[in-house]
Amino acid sequence: MTNHYIDLKNSDCILIMGSNAAENHPIAFKWILRAKDRGAKIIHVDPRFTRTSARCDYHVPLRSGTDIAFLGGMIKHIIDNNLIQEEYVKYYTNASQIVSPDYDFQDGLFSGYDAEKRKYAKNTWTTEKDAAGIPVRDYTLEDPRCVYQMLKKHYKRYTLEKVSSITGVSKNNLLKVYNEYGATGAKDKAGTECYALGWTHHTVGSQNIRAMAIIQLLLGNMGICGGGINALRGEPNVQGSTDHAILYNILPGYLKMPSGPVDTLSKYLEKYTSKSTDPQSANWYQNYPKYAVSFLKAVWGAKATPENEFGYSWLPKLDDGKDYSIMHATDQMYAGKMKGFFAYGSNIAVSSPNSTKVRKGLEKLKWMVNVNIFDNETSSFWKGPGVDPKTIDTEVFLLPAAASMEKEGSQSNSGRWVQWRYKAANPPGDALSDGDITMRIMDTVRELYQKEGGAFPEQILNLKWDYKDALGNFDVAKVSKMINGHYNQDLTVITDPIKGTTEENKKGETVPSFAKLTADGSTSCGNWLMSGSFDQKGVNKMMNRGKEDPTGLGLYPDWSFAWPLNRRIIYNRASCDLEGKPYNPKMKLLEWTGEKWVGDVPDGPWPPMANTEKGKYPFIMKADGVGSLFGPGMAEGPFPEHYEPLEGPLATNPMSAQRINPAVKVFTSDLDKVANADQKFPYVCTTYSCTEHWCSGFTRWQPWLLEAMPEAYVEISDKLATQLGLKNGERVRVSSVRGEVTCVAMVTKRMTPFEVEGKVVHQVGMPCNYGWLNPVKNDDDSVNHLTPAVGCPNTFCPEYKAFMVNVSKA
Amino acid sequence: MKQELIKLIDLSRCTACRGCQIACKQWNELPARQTENFGSYQNPPDLQWNTWTMIRFQEREDQNGILQWLFRKDGCMHCSDAACIKVCPTEALYHTEFGSVSMHEHKCIGCKACIPACPFGVPKFNAATNKISKCDLCYTRLQANQLPACVLSCPTGALTIGEKDVMLKKAYKRVKELGGDASVYGDKFLDGTHVVYVLPEKPEVYDNLPTDPKMPLTIIVWKDVLKPAGLLVAGSVVAGAFLHYITHGPKTPEEETTSEGGKLS
Amino acid sequence: MKTGMIKATGPFERVVHWCVALSCLFLCITGMGMMYHSLNFVGTLVGGMENLKNLHNYGGIFFAVSLLFAIIIWWKEAGIFSFPEDLQWILAAGGYLWKVEKVPEVGKYNPGQKMFFWAVSLFGTIMVVSGLIIWFPTGYAMATLRLMYVLHALGFVVIFAFFFVHLYLVTIGAPGSAPAMFTGWVTRGWVKTQHPKWLKEMEKDGTLIVYGQKKSAEKKV
Repeated sequence: MTNHYIDLKNSDCILIMGSNAAENHPIAFKWILRAKDRGAKIIHVDPRFTRTSARCDYHVPLRSGTDIAFLGGMIKHIIDNNLIQEEYVKYYTNASQIVSPDYDFQDGLFSGYDAEKRKYAKNTWTTEKDAAGIPVRDYTLEDPRCVYQMLKKHYKRYTLEKVSSITGVSKNNLLKVYNEYGATGAKDKAGTECYALGWTHHTVGSQNIRAMAIIQLLLGNMGICGGGINALRGEPNVQGSTDHAILYNILPGYLKMPSGPVDTLSKYLEKYTSKSTDPQSANWYQNYPKYAVSFLKAVWGAKATPENEFGYSWLPKLDDGKDYSIMHATDQMYAGKMKGFFAYGSNIAVSSPNSTKVRKGLEKLKWMVNVNIFDNETSSFWKGPGVDPKTIDTEVFLLPAAASMEKEGSQSNSGRWVQWRYKAANPPGDALSDGDITMRIMDTVRELYQKEGGAFPEQILNLKWDYKDALGNFDVAKVSKMINGHYNQDLTVITDPIKGTTEENKKGETVPSFAKLTADGSTSCGNWLMSGSFDQKGVNKMMNRGKEDPTGLGLYPDWSFAWPLNRRIIYNRASCDLEGKPYNPKMKLLEWTGEKWVGDVPDGPWPPMANTEKGKYPFIMKADGVGSLFGPGMAEGPFPEHYEPLEGPLATNPMSAQRINPAVKVFTSDLDKVANADQKFPYVCTTYSCTEHWCSGFTRWQPWLLEAMPEAYVEISDKLATQLGLKNGERVRVSSVRGEVTCVAMVTKRMTPFEVEGKVVHQVGMPCNYGWLNPVKNDDDSVNHLTPAVGCPNTFCPEYKAFMVNVSKA
Repeated sequence: MKQELIKLIDLSRCTACRGCQIACKQWNELPARQTENFGSYQNPPDLQWNTWTMIRFQEREDQNGILQWLFRKDGCMHCSDAACIKVCPTEALYHTEFGSVSMHEHKCIGCKACIPACPFGVPKFNAATNKISKCDLCYTRLQANQLPACVLSCPTGALTIGEKDVMLKKAYKRVKELGGDASVYGDKFLDGTHVVYVLPEKPEVYDNLPTDPKMPLTIIVWKDVLKPAGLLVAGSVVAGAFLHYITHGPKTPEEETTSEGGKLS
Repeated sequence: MKTGMIKATGPFERVVHWCVALSCLFLCITGMGMMYHSLNFVGTLVGGMENLKNLHNYGGIFFAVSLLFAIIIWWKEAGIFSFPEDLQWILAAGGYLWKVEKVPEVGKYNPGQKMFFWAVSLFGTIMVVSGLIIWFPTGYAMATLRLMYVLHALGFVVIFAFFFVHLYLVTIGAPGSAPAMFTGWVTRGWVKTQHPKWLKEMEKDGTLIVYGQKKSAEKKV
């Protein structure tokens, strides 16, 4: 979230698209309803009419996987009708920059495409710079190659007729949403977007969000109260785990994971340190070396020295051009190339796409460790349906883990609020916290390395590994402090060279802000974003529970800690005009007094941009300091483009010759079958989690929740049910080219067929929370037997949300 | 009597997350039972002895053909003129100081009279304990100045509880905001219930919700007519008999000692 | 002592009578213990209201069986009105309430008794049926169940009232009646006064049994 949960109440129009907020984020919905009380319009765009739709002003059904077409049409509508926040677009985005003449887009392909590798060379996706390295700009936005004009040209094709035909949304509905949301382009109006897995679970997942980012920039909705792009992230601490690098391609704090060819620290820093010569750009990522070196110091401690490049060579490196997502891992398993596997709090036999392949892959492992609070389909795969335990050689260890309420630590919500959570009860039996389990395993590994040696001993033995309390248990406070960072030595910092004032920092003191981190090894910091979660005296700000709200905007600055630096709304300087006056005087998120900013913690102390000498652009994390309408960082192009899902009802993409995302990689094992526009699988299917169950379903062991939502179901429109002769509550079989599952048919008016390219396309939906282990009734199993293992090329988030199935009586 | 309380259920804010349904079970230690999906999100299918409150799900198209998915938290209405209390033979069901209807479990004899009495179908029989089971508005929590479990769990503010007057004012204000067919449900019948709904649609639209709940006529006949009549009539008979005795005297048999049969007439 | 008395009832009849009467009384008392909160103390006497409920319910079964026998036994004698004399008797209120020149002679059971029989049979049956439905309510419509409570209460009012009428008449209202249900022997005078026609019929049919005499076996032709 660029904003935070409470801030949703400040919005004038909330577009819930790619999310089922009421069902999956019930608390978030409280604030959405507050906005509604204030008169905000709440719009739900979703293939299904859900509990969210029931509480919105209106629901607009949309065919799964066509969000970019929908949003592309909105971009066109906003531009054509001049609904943009003009000053914002001119000065706070790259609209005025001139796109390189080498950049091109033809029939679904951007320049630089390598069809064989299914990959783009991005060297033509650039904007022009002058001799001083400062971007060339045309503030009239009339230059035909300026970003604004290029954007207009790109989305010219997204006409109402075309968008309606692709998405299955009526033109009336399209216009209704476009006008309603477009109205937030007014300076004193805020529109926000709430998304979740409904946008990320696509082969175009990242671009779904990019398309919305463009809209938000055009309407001046970024950095303001009630605006932003808000990922509603899940209860499993998704925000915290991504901040702390649960993904293979990042290090904590979203630092880059190095790859093989980047074999020295200097190469690494050279590659990832952002450069800008523009004096008006804060270019915050110029500080990259400080964060990277402090991270290395946190990992290797005293063993990290300038001489050994702070242990950079000990960091694991990705093979160049290779990906390591869970889909890649299970592909490797299935190919017999993986020996062992840790399933930490995960249940991939249910949750990963193409479960049939995943389970076959598990059979080929030598060993597997599952750390979980319950047995699940992954740890019990060897006795699963169709599996003969006698033929399985995999040794499975199930380690009982403590549940989240049985351990102390921090939990990050989507609004980046990192809240300290205390232990409510002791874990039962032999269960241990994840920290203790990790600690014990690593202790033993290190002992064995000391005794027997092994591959890469430096990594193991040089690790800073002193996170235990006096009793030898995992000490979460020690880990948290290391994540925040501390001074490795006494450090005197000159704060004002003219007055000669200095600041004395003592060795061992916690670093109060990432601005204090250094690249010379004098500071350690496990995750620069979290720097400031402790003050210099070691007081844990995550424990703050102050209920004061001085701005009246719901920022609650004294409640917990929000990264970065307790900033509640990021890019908040964009809420003010060039003079530093708030665009919406009723919501003074920030205001420049002439000397300083008052309100939220500003995105930097610099004066507003009217001060051409010291003023800085508001989007400080970007090298050019402005929001990217033209976004060259993406894998599949600088402008989001509509591509069909890997499996869809159409044989061709109505928008271009490229049916699917050109940058998507498709797995090629014998179990990775695809059936596009196949009469045998005529219905679009989407999957989701229901309120009552948690992810892959450990809540299935909770009798009350199982009572409330007892078994797997497929939601089918009454029209399709009539066509298939199905009655409500009847048992059915749902099949895709990859597998089939049984469940109960839920016949409902909440599902509606779509008219797509002149054809009627039916859509069905199934929850992803069930598996064979329990409840045992009827042998129902994971819906992921049906889903294809394919994902967004930027994140490898699998395409759970759009694939093709058939439905028949069981 | 302490301050009368009203639990307000604002259905326009309910997202059917069913937090209340589960929280109720947790606090009141009500077990789950095996259910099956019968083609609805609703489960258990109805209130049960182990389910004191539940969300009813109902799909409906309004007069403009616009799809609605109505959610209604069902449960005890805590009537002032409570039929269950009226029929309870042992005074097991009673009004608390908050106006809610609670139950002395040890007094319940499992006679089930309250089951058909309730206009809302709330009391349920637990065969294992041979007792009636129903919501008591978390009486012990109220006594300890705590919110009822359902109210505490509600994420959206659909459930609130407070002083009667304040809550009714709030309900009417909300109905005014909502406009259209919205109405307050609960204050106008059974001498006012201690659970009051803000209904966004007309009451008749909702499944299992009586439009005009009343004390059943049968109970009035039974408890207000026949019950006193039982004593009254019997008393009259006794009095009448006495009167008869002193006015007419007994019908004494004729003196006859012969063992011969009488003549044919 | 009994010499010369006329046999009015057989032992089985008397057993059935008392089964019905006592269970009815028992049900009235236990039922009232539940109906009137002020009489809840009745429950205390039997160890709690739940016991009281069970006693009432199972007592009801005993009553139901007794009632069944009673109906079978007395159906013919007390269930059928004979015209026109019964009607005349009714119009004259059996001579109980006002002065009547001549009350039609009645047989073994006068219309008042027949009405009592009917009241007990009909309302007894209503009590049994409604009681059973109240006891086992599963599957019945709410409206049906509610009606059952009304019928049960109504039955109580009627039976309870008739009970007192009956009690009065068989004690001080019509002295000499009670022995019919204790010993089975009543005085000829009583029979002649109360059921002259019956006496005549017995004499005519030779079914009259007089204590101490040989049964007048031969039927007089």
